[in-house]
Amino acid sequence: MSVGEWKIGSIKLPFSEAFRITLENIKKRFVRAAITTASIILGIAFMVSILMMAQIQQSATGAIEGIRAYQYWLLFISLLVSGVGITNSMLIAVAERYKEIGTMKCLGALDKHILTFFLLESSIIGGLGGILGYVVGIIAGVIYGVTQFGMDAVVKALVSPGLLGFNIPAVISLLLASTILAIFLSIVASLYPAYYAAKLNPADALRYEI
Amino acid sequence: MRYEYTVETEDLAKYYYMGRYVVKALDGVNIRIRRGEYVSIMGPSGSGKTTLFNMIGGLDRPTRGRVYIDEVDISKLDAYELAWLRNRKIGYVFQTFNLIPVLTALENVMLPMIFAGVPREERIKRATELLQRVGLGDRLHHKPTELSGGQQQRVAIARALANDPAIVLADEPTGNLDLHTGLEIINLMRTLNKEKGVTIVTATHDLKMIDVSDRIIYLRDGKVQRIETRAEVSAEYEE
Repeated sequence: MSVGEWKIGSIKLPFSEAFRITLENIKKRFVRAAITTASIILGIAFMVSILMMAQIQQSATGAIEGIRAYQYWLLFISLLVSGVGITNSMLIAVAERYKEIGTMKCLGALDKHILTFFLLESSIIGGLGGILGYVVGIIAGVIYGVTQFGMDAVVKALVSPGLLGFNIPAVISLLLASTILAIFLSIVASLYPAYYAAKLNPADALRYEI
Repeated sequence: MRYEYTVETEDLAKYYYMGRYVVKALDGVNIRIRRGEYVSIMGPSGSGKTTLFNMIGGLDRPTRGRVYIDEVDISKLDAYELAWLRNRKIGYVFQTFNLIPVLTALENVMLPMIFAGVPREERIKRATELLQRVGLGDRLHHKPTELSGGQQQRVAIARALANDPAIVLADEPTGNLDLHTGLEIINLMRTLNKEKGVTIVTATHDLKMIDVSDRIIYLRDGKVQRIETRAEVSAEYEE
């Protein structure tokens, strides 16, 4: 590409650099990131505990009762609430960083780089929230199972395959499902805030004072 | 390729529409700034300094008129080319320093080089040299919060020079600094202007800036009121 006498070169942002800057950003706003993570933990823990309890019940009593419709509804609502929480928190994150976004654009950042920063941040928070939510959910499920049906039923439920249609032990399929769902939820919830940040006009972004 | 004029504006105007009112932040500005010049744009607040700064810097689009940087009409550039322009051709210095708070001084100076695709070893070498040049060789790994205002502005100046730009645009660079520190920053910019031949355009109402400027453009109500060379300004003071 060339314009006039200029040879327009490429603009780059290696993934390793984007990742490093994002981690620093999360560390710097640790409390806000922790609150966002907590909202994901709650949603995912609720999901994992419901699935676990159904699985334990099934392996203990042999009844293929599964999960009732209202439980799916509760699950959906809880994930929706946690998604709205993420959107809200990411919008605040963007507002906090108007000036930084403006500065980044002055230094040569493209819209897609700003998008990368925010989506990467929400995926990291999502992934972390998913794993921690899984742990909390399993603990809740195990406590329920042990008190209701005893240790053997719990162990049997955890290692038996078939949950969510995966042919792998339930402990692993739940971990995969939790992490993937949490990252997906987090990215979807952050799309609007990240897009809004990326499209900011640099002059407007710089003028903004908090 | 050498250009006579680094910056040229042609009937440049920017209007803001506020309901029924039209605010003419810039209204028909024609200026030409030569390569290597140190130009100050002076005027009271609301005179259009920052708007002019944004137009020349490719940060906002004019309502009317053109801006040429190195004889290229920047209104014809698309988003990608504008990002490239901001990255390679222009360095920005702000009143509020605007360093990235989570990055160290060295990382702040390296950031424009990352976007430009400069290899890591060279980035570190060049950024270290620039920070040493502005007198911060012993503060490479400090974060902005660990630096004084004057030191932060030095980092910002080093960052503005990272990709060897044609112009450094400084919007009230001494506005948040005390008299003494402000003077140090002004002298540093003048020295770098002479040393590297980089064109410097500052928007300011700091009178200390007059002593180092080759020319002063007085802006009022979005129009150029008058342009004076330093010789003329000094003559006025002697009278």
